[in-house]
Amino acid sequence: MSTDKITTEEVSILQLSDSFFPTGMYATSNGLEALFYAKKIKHPNELRNIIKVYLEHQIGPTDCAALGNSYEYVKKNDLKGVIKVDQITFSMKLIQEIRDTSARAGTQLLKCLGYFIADNELLNKYQHCIKNRQAYGVYPVALAIASSSLNISKRKAGLMMIYAFLVSMVGAALRLGMLQHFDGQKIIHELKPDIVEIVNSNIDRPITGMWQFAPGLDIFQIAHERMSSKMFIT
Amino acid sequence: MSSDRIPRVGIGGPVGSGKTMLIEQIVPILSDRGYRAGIISNDVVSREDADRMRKNLAAERGLLPEDLVIGLATGGCPHTAVREDPSMNLSVVEEMEMKHKDLDLIIIESGGDNITTTFSPALADYFIYIIDVSGGDKYPRKRGLGIESCDLLVINKIDLAHYVGADLSIMERDAKAVRGNKPYVLVNSRTGHGAKDVTEHIIRDVLFESLPKAVAKNK
Repeated sequence: MSTDKITTEEVSILQLSDSFFPTGMYATSNGLEALFYAKKIKHPNELRNIIKVYLEHQIGPTDCAALGNSYEYVKKNDLKGVIKVDQITFSMKLIQEIRDTSARAGTQLLKCLGYFIADNELLNKYQHCIKNRQAYGVYPVALAIASSSLNISKRKAGLMMIYAFLVSMVGAALRLGMLQHFDGQKIIHELKPDIVEIVNSNIDRPITGMWQFAPGLDIFQIAHERMSSKMFIT
Repeated sequence: MSSDRIPRVGIGGPVGSGKTMLIEQIVPILSDRGYRAGIISNDVVSREDADRMRKNLAAERGLLPEDLVIGLATGGCPHTAVREDPSMNLSVVEEMEMKHKDLDLIIIESGGDNITTTFSPALADYFIYIIDVSGGDKYPRKRGLGIESCDLLVINKIDLAHYVGADLSIMERDAKAVRGNKPYVLVNSRTGHGAKDVTEHIIRDVLFESLPKAVAKNK
């Protein structure tokens, strides 16, 4: 008998991590557009290295850790804990457009989830808090709620988020004409071990250990936010 | 539908077809009639359209507050932003609805795109598609989802028709053939010709000729 069985949870992983899932994240480049116009990236290898910095110094220790912490609070049905992670994550994002985009993407993710998942009490309460401005609805927290409700494990949820970020960055680079499509897939392939390491080292990070430090990227993200002519939300 | 939901009109069309200028013509007419509108402008590579409307309609003429003209970048995917994944637009619309409950209408301008543009029904209640004569009088006949499925087809820059050899009667004939009974309007957005007709369609088919909220509140 074959043990190679697939489950609906695995299909849910594909659904939520598919760029077709509506969160609006395709409209962001996280400052990559400003790096492009400043001619700071001239080779696909440089793009790969920059994405690795994003993952190791921004998304991993903040968003991935936020996802892990909020997932645990969701499992305990602890709304206060979920909101605490939400507020800390929002406040840690230094660039207004990036803060707002995370909140908008998360809020829309929850709305979409609520369209096909009925009677999830914590989801309903959290959405109520967002509407009443007691919470922001940041993306990692929203994804934790979505993953938990679809029986996706915490670690797999972290993998989905980091992978989706990587794909969105490569997608933005392709639309900016920074590389050709095979280069994009090569970057994704080369960063697979890093993705695994970043998820494993951050998904159980305690809330008090969340951090980010990438001042060079912060400056380019600020510059991007202020560009008068741009294709991407920061 | 939520009672907080403010009616939404989506305006789509190719780059340079006159979407922004059409909005600049219809917002003052709506304002004269007492209707307050907010504007979300999706731009492909700049904030120019939103900045221009903010200057022309808000700062200089005071027809609406400056924070009611919002520009939105689309990551180079203008049709995705209003159809397949309108998440960012929906968020901005919902934020506008929460902050400005007294608005009568929200106008969402898509980024310039091709003739397959349509709006998600979750984003827009009414869809205006605008083309202009400089693309040739074959435009309506070529069909495309935008031309075929929109609630109102606007054919702009009619003053240029004879300069570019476009026959308006052919465009009208083909618009009727392609769209059946659905309406179209011939417009010159520079002079405002036809803008009143477009506005009347909005007031009748979107606002259902209801009183402006500011007027109804004082009754």
